[in-house]
Amino acid sequence: MKRITVAAVGLLLAAAVFTSLGAAAPGANIMQAAAAPPKKKPVKPKLPALPSAVKSRKHWEIGVKCDFPPFGFIDVRGNNDGYDVQVAERFAQLAFGSKKKVNFTCVTTPSRIPTLMSGRVDIIVSTLTWTQARSEQIDFSIPYYSATGRLLVPNNSSVTVSSLSGKTVVTTRGALYAAWTRNCFKNTKLLEVDSPALAVAAVKDGRADTFMFDDAFLLGVATQDRDVRLTGDKFLAVPWGIGIRKGDAAMARWVNAALRWMKKKDEFVKILRANAPARLVGSFLDNVPRPNNTFAYPVGKDVTAICP
Amino acid sequence: MVASFDWQFIWDHLPDFWEGLQATLKVAGIGIAGSLAIGVILGAARAHRVPVISWLAAIYVEVIRNTPILVQIFFIAGALPHFPGHPIRLDPFTIAWLSVMVWGGAYNTENFRAAFEAVPFRYREAGLALGFSRLATFFNITLPIGARIALPSSINTYVSVLKNTSLLTAIGFAELTNTAYSLESESFKPTEIYFALGVTYLLVVWSLSALLRIVEWRLTLPEAR
Repeated sequence: MKRITVAAVGLLLAAAVFTSLGAAAPGANIMQAAAAPPKKKPVKPKLPALPSAVKSRKHWEIGVKCDFPPFGFIDVRGNNDGYDVQVAERFAQLAFGSKKKVNFTCVTTPSRIPTLMSGRVDIIVSTLTWTQARSEQIDFSIPYYSATGRLLVPNNSSVTVSSLSGKTVVTTRGALYAAWTRNCFKNTKLLEVDSPALAVAAVKDGRADTFMFDDAFLLGVATQDRDVRLTGDKFLAVPWGIGIRKGDAAMARWVNAALRWMKKKDEFVKILRANAPARLVGSFLDNVPRPNNTFAYPVGKDVTAICP
Repeated sequence: MVASFDWQFIWDHLPDFWEGLQATLKVAGIGIAGSLAIGVILGAARAHRVPVISWLAAIYVEVIRNTPILVQIFFIAGALPHFPGHPIRLDPFTIAWLSVMVWGGAYNTENFRAAFEAVPFRYREAGLALGFSRLATFFNITLPIGARIALPSSINTYVSVLKNTSLLTAIGFAELTNTAYSLESESFKPTEIYFALGVTYLLVVWSLSALLRIVEWRLTLPEAR
């Protein structure tokens, strides 16, 4: 009887220990889960004070492209998405702790600088290539991307940069390529349209022989459309910056600090991976700022006057 | 505002405006000449109820007059190159003059139809009584009188053809408006550019209408003076 009692007590004890352990296990997990984030949580960057207009509004107003995949476009659900859009959302996260604290305004190549200057948006993250003329109108942040120019041609075309004479080149209005074509290819006819999609249509409709534009946009087109391809030419490699109203020093300080921090943490590659097709990411790694990859604007040089 | 107005900028870019203006004038010139020819031929066919041609002309006029010209430009530039079985690929200059000519031709067909029908029937009867064939009656009687009756309304059409060339900016054709718009996208001087653009159109269109009014005055029928 005594033995049975001992055994029963032992069994009970064992059961109690087991259950307590079992019950404690999830608790321990919760403890760990609660304890883990502080370890993994990225160090919050020490950014300069947010410009007061943005701070008091409690969200950003940012101009982005809506017709320029994979940088700024409207996705199937009707939301803004793309490389530029995600940079803007990162700004919202850094400034207000939520990537939703940003209101996007669609801008086009010809409308973006007037939109910024009118005060309707705080900044423009809109595939904005640095040029001397633009830098006299607005201030540029440090570079956040660098594109090169390429030619999109129909598959059966033999057009290259060295054989543009007598041909028709289409590009978007106000783009660097329009001025470059006018300066360097006197015998080339130029079509200037308002959106890259219209320019692609011009090539496919036979109204233009080639579409001269940023590699980022053209690669996307060439990989999706079997009728067109890119030539081997690369030209006009000029970095892109975020557009800031002239003299808005507080804004420039904040934006540049945020971009420097993102570069240090190699965040641009993450944003690139999230937006470019996997097989193309490799060919674009040199286009984004990284801890060991720094871009500089060609200040003092008129790149559109430098002919091949 | 006057103080910040950059006259020098306009002066420096006059050659650009001139290039655009030349393209505008070329397209408008072809468009106006073409719409005159279309108007006379199809207008005569309509007024004299020539079978088949008259019916086709009626359809053409209805289609063009009841669709926006911008849609017509997009159709010629964007739909024809993908026409199933028989794609038609045109260069921008051809698209430019073709679209304003087709538009002006439709309006002119109606102008001339109404004018030819306004020629008193007894004049034509007189021609036929004199032994003129129907064609000779048309060339000797209906056309000289009818064309003069059509002048005031067709002048409006020619002026509209010239002004409608500005819509060709939609396909990126480098006419005057497109040149100004592109210049503005690169230089950010909208006030100067659009002021110069407006003044240029005013001068050109006003000169064209003045010229046509002189023609109209010289050709007015004696009884209308």
